[in-house]
Amino acid sequence: MKTLKLTLATALLAVSALASAEEAVLKVSAIPDEAPTELQRKFAPLGQYLEKELGMKVQFVPVTDYAAVVTALNSDKIDMAWLGGFTFVQASLHGKVVPLVQREEDSKFTAKFIVNAAVGAKSLQDLKGKSFAFGSASSTSGHLMPRYFLQKEGIKPETFFKNVAYSGAHDATVAWVASGKVDAGALNASVWEKLVQSGKVDGSKVKLLATTPPFYDYNWTVRGNLDKKLQARISAAFLKLDPKNPQDKAILDLQRASRFIPTKADNYKGIEAAAEAAGLLK
Amino acid sequence: MLSSHPRDPARWPRLLTLLLCLALLAPSFSLTQFNPATLANPDSWRTMAGFVAGFFPMALQADFLRDVARETITTLASATAGIALAMLLGAPLALATSHALQRHLLGGERPARLAGWLASLLRGLMVILRGIPEIVWALLLVRAVGLGSLPAVLAIGLAYGGMLAKVYAEILESQTPGLASALYLQGASRWQCLLYGLWPQALPELLSYSVYRWECAIRASAVMGFVGAGGVGQLLDTSLKMLNGGEVSTLLLVFLLLVSLSEGISLLSRRALGSVTATRMLPALGLLAVAASVLWLWPGWRDSGFDSSAIVRFARDFFPPASDMLTEIGHGMVETLAMSGLGSVLAFMAGAVLAMPAAGRFGTAAKWLSRLLLNVLRGVPDLLWASIAVLAVGLGPAAGVLALALHTTGVLGRLFAETLENADPEPELALQQAGAGRLLAFAYGQLPTVFSQWLAYTLYRWENNIRSATVLGIVGAGGLGQQLYLALSLFQQHRAASLIIAMLLLSWAVEQLSRYCRQRMG
Repeated sequence: MKTLKLTLATALLAVSALASAEEAVLKVSAIPDEAPTELQRKFAPLGQYLEKELGMKVQFVPVTDYAAVVTALNSDKIDMAWLGGFTFVQASLHGKVVPLVQREEDSKFTAKFIVNAAVGAKSLQDLKGKSFAFGSASSTSGHLMPRYFLQKEGIKPETFFKNVAYSGAHDATVAWVASGKVDAGALNASVWEKLVQSGKVDGSKVKLLATTPPFYDYNWTVRGNLDKKLQARISAAFLKLDPKNPQDKAILDLQRASRFIPTKADNYKGIEAAAEAAGLLK
Repeated sequence: MLSSHPRDPARWPRLLTLLLCLALLAPSFSLTQFNPATLANPDSWRTMAGFVAGFFPMALQADFLRDVARETITTLASATAGIALAMLLGAPLALATSHALQRHLLGGERPARLAGWLASLLRGLMVILRGIPEIVWALLLVRAVGLGSLPAVLAIGLAYGGMLAKVYAEILESQTPGLASALYLQGASRWQCLLYGLWPQALPELLSYSVYRWECAIRASAVMGFVGAGGVGQLLDTSLKMLNGGEVSTLLLVFLLLVSLSEGISLLSRRALGSVTATRMLPALGLLAVAASVLWLWPGWRDSGFDSSAIVRFARDFFPPASDMLTEIGHGMVETLAMSGLGSVLAFMAGAVLAMPAAGRFGTAAKWLSRLLLNVLRGVPDLLWASIAVLAVGLGPAAGVLALALHTTGVLGRLFAETLENADPEPELALQQAGAGRLLAFAYGQLPTVFSQWLAYTLYRWENNIRSATVLGIVGAGGLGQQLYLALSLFQQHRAASLIIAMLLLSWAVEQLSRYCRQRMG
């Protein structure tokens, strides 16, 4: 009995000592463009790699809302975040943030317009009077760029379509269109390709209608007041990931990246202009 | 001779009234794009059937269940801590604004002008606190203080604080004033008047209402995860978005158990309030529960940190409210009203139909089955129904109509069944014995005795539904809530401010209108 008490006391002491140790922690989050559990699964190996490279604890903070990630980064609640082009612009307008790296694919990202086969539409103009779904309102490839592209085609979604809805996520948009809940929708090209390759899209039910011109999308951004040296070390760690090394390749594959490249705020001027033109920065 | 009238003699006027009502509702159908035909559409059924089929097998993996258990405790703890905060906020507000403790009413002195203004100011604050629905508070606080359980606790504390303040004040006012007044005239201070003149007689009622609010807070706390404020709602939101039926069914079951458990505890403790020991025990138990809740939530709060300057910065962004969106707000308001009206009417009809078996008119088996159905309908909050309805009829106000109809059917069905059970059975029996058929005997013998009560319940629920309809848009079901969610997602705080003001106005107008109607009826 006495030993039990002693063990318990020691264990308690150890736990509290662990909890109170002021250890350096890098808090990381990501916009929820996929299920939070999926994001955590994707991040786990990258997190371990960063822990090893930076010699500090890396903690993933799951967040269910795009705008909350931006707010958390702006108010220093997290140190680094995986942002979309639009959320990066929002974050840089509301505080000081520094974009570090992006996937090679992100410098020429596109969005896809899809339609339910039963609608029989051949072009975007055929969608007049139909219902339409964007992804999350804060999404670059699920909302901003498709909206901007429609605008350039002379289409104002709110009056052109019968009904405009926000599904919340790219995979949800595909599910809506496939089930006929909405006639057409727009989403991230990379999610579309993943769903097509894995056979999760029924080609007889959902048709590809159009693709936007390329634009800059996702990046890894840190808060502006994060130690400059640490920023440089984080960048270096990402850039060092080598697709020829099998261990690195596994990390890159989970991120759906061929490799990481440096990025800068200027790359997102186009996104900002598009957001301005689409009236989303009022 | 009744037997020579096999059909309802008043059928034409009744049919006409029904048609007239439906004609009046017709604009609501088009406004909300609610098309009953979509429910009959085989494609909708197939999607829904596919989704429901995915409910089985239920998700029972150990790590998922561990998450569910942790989040369930968090939900309970947030509700309990939230109510504690609400009481801390509500009690002083009630004391400061209740007429029961004002000098001029206690002792017939001239009303002090400054004190009067202060009380009005505080009453205005209370209207704002409770006029903004708790889920909107949560949505705002998630942005202001970050994710997790802290915004949920604060949201419940603020919204319910305003509500408790109002009801506490009314409870104090409804006590017989003689005792307090006599004490005051004897030279007792107002604190003494409260402690010896009002407190002892008002305490059971104050406690009873607080326990009832705790029960409501659990339902509210369970859905706050939809805006990122932790708890079972957050798990459910994720599972719904990913169309993971197995997880959804497990969570729905947990949800219903949680709601029934809290209802049970609330009912038992309110019944026990009759005895003196219970009145003494309950506050002690409550304090223990609050302490346990704070202990459970503390690690999460410590991690997220509370940054008051961030909140001030966040609040400052809302001013001035945007003034160029009157048409949008008008549209949102009309959509909100149409959603609530149509949902309430559908619920009235479905509730009336389900109340028959639930009142035991078709045997015991039918009674328990229909009661179970009504309890499930009622136990699932409308916001949760909305996120499921979005799957069945697509995003937009139609999902809101369906959600309100489903939840309200559960509420009204139970109330209708209770009125039927309490009604005098004799007129109906007499008609039956005189040879009238069952339907006719019901229509002439029973219905008139309960109908005005049914109507009153429905109007009361409609009032509630208008408030609910303003927030259903947060999960994509149209109305002002959808616009607010969009504005906040795009950091358009000025627009968000205007929308919140619109919600406040709507809620205030409904409250005033209903008070006016009740005074007229009473």
